[in-house]
Amino acid sequence: MLKVFKYTLIDLARNRFVLGYALLMLFVAEGLFFVEDDPAKALLSLVQVVMALVPLIALVFTIVYSYDSLEFTQLLAVQPIARRSILAGQLLALCTALLVAQGFGLGLPLIVHLPNLAALMLSLAGSGLVLVFTALGLLIALKQREKARGVGVGLTVWFLFVLVYDALLMALMFSFSDHPIEPYVVPLAALNPVDMGRILVMLQVDLAAMMGYSGAIYKHFFGSLGGIAVAAVVLLLWFFGPTLFSFRTFQRKDL
Amino acid sequence: MAEPRITFTDVGKRYGKLWALRELNVAFHPGEVVMIIGPNGSGKTTLIKCLLGLVRPTTGSIAVNGEVIGTDPNYRRSIGYMPQISQFPAALTIGQLLDMMRDIRGLNDAVVDDRLINELGLDKQLDKRLSDLSGGTRQKVSAVLALRSKPEILVMDEPTAGLDPVSASKVLGHAAEVREQGGTVLITSHLMEEVEALADRIAYLEDGQLRFILPMDEILQSTGQQRLAKALPLLLERKLAAGMNV
Repeated sequence: MLKVFKYTLIDLARNRFVLGYALLMLFVAEGLFFVEDDPAKALLSLVQVVMALVPLIALVFTIVYSYDSLEFTQLLAVQPIARRSILAGQLLALCTALLVAQGFGLGLPLIVHLPNLAALMLSLAGSGLVLVFTALGLLIALKQREKARGVGVGLTVWFLFVLVYDALLMALMFSFSDHPIEPYVVPLAALNPVDMGRILVMLQVDLAAMMGYSGAIYKHFFGSLGGIAVAAVVLLLWFFGPTLFSFRTFQRKDL
Repeated sequence: MAEPRITFTDVGKRYGKLWALRELNVAFHPGEVVMIIGPNGSGKTTLIKCLLGLVRPTTGSIAVNGEVIGTDPNYRRSIGYMPQISQFPAALTIGQLLDMMRDIRGLNDAVVDDRLINELGLDKQLDKRLSDLSGGTRQKVSAVLALRSKPEILVMDEPTAGLDPVSASKVLGHAAEVREQGGTVLITSHLMEEVEALADRIAYLEDGQLRFILPMDEILQSTGQQRLAKALPLLLERKLAAGMNV
């Protein structure tokens, strides 16, 4: 596995898309800190960008890279090496490359402009999203035979997580506004890794007060160490769930 | 005759409703080159992929050196494979790719055969990125990867496609060496003229079934032809006339 990881990472280190991602994040983060006088406000804008952009980049890049390296994956699969080692090496390399790019593009400006707990939480949440959506991207690429269809499914998944899920929750809250449904909505929000990342960061900038009763419940639950641990576990489940399905799929897949 | 190196027993492969390979029973022996031919969609690639472990047979089993292959990848240590389409990680250099494959196969310098690298002129291009290579040069790299580990079983899918005649001849020369050293070579090719001189037996597939597997000499003698490209249509006509459903 480490051999596949090593050489895939060397390949990814010179990949223009990965370099572009690092520069894009750097440009956006530096730009926001430059135009906003208050770094805390820049952070809030950055949260919205990260929660939308990171899942999109991780999904689409993983899907496209997986399809483009299919013939090479076939060549690896005819070597005396287990399929699980090939997939583990490739997944680890993809996650590492995107995390390093994000560390450079997002982590560096945060350390320079706003070295506090909220910035750290944004970095961690962003890293969690990289892992989750890289795993989802790999699963999509393994399940769909055609590249265009795979990218289409990836964009649909992104759309569902980033926009549709929130819209549905809002509609639910609006429809049942006469009832105390927040205690049920909070766990539902936590099921979406993007929402969870957003909530965790928002709580660190003490924005919960602006989020009304829901904010109070978020604060009550996710404000504690136990709540953060639950959030981390949910994010890990979102990573390991698709990853396990990917391994099962790849083991049986006709290449 | 020696024990078969590769044995297909009742092997079938179904994709959805389509049987790409049906009831394949055939054995390939040490020290022979078998050319696998047939029309497009006849099952040649599926046969090769079953042997390589890229696809799982729906029915039957395949044995290599007497051991039925399963999920253990170690049997592939004895196999060298040259695919028809060679795509490699774009940002790696030729040298890095060769190192990677050597590491994965656990080979040391004493075991690897690097003659072909020099013969194909790749020794001067080891620092070149794979994305900068022409299709023909990628095929040369692919040939080196297949032959470098001195395999017992060499599988070549359209090995001369994209290669210049001199390089093609060198690659086929090394395939002949594998046979001389007791290896088993399986080749699929549409360019019969280039490969027929090497072939000991011809396996003809159609509609996923093995219609016949015959020694090359027998095909040429029975048809009175010098070249396989002319002998094969005659043989197929005769077999059709004899009601062999070819």
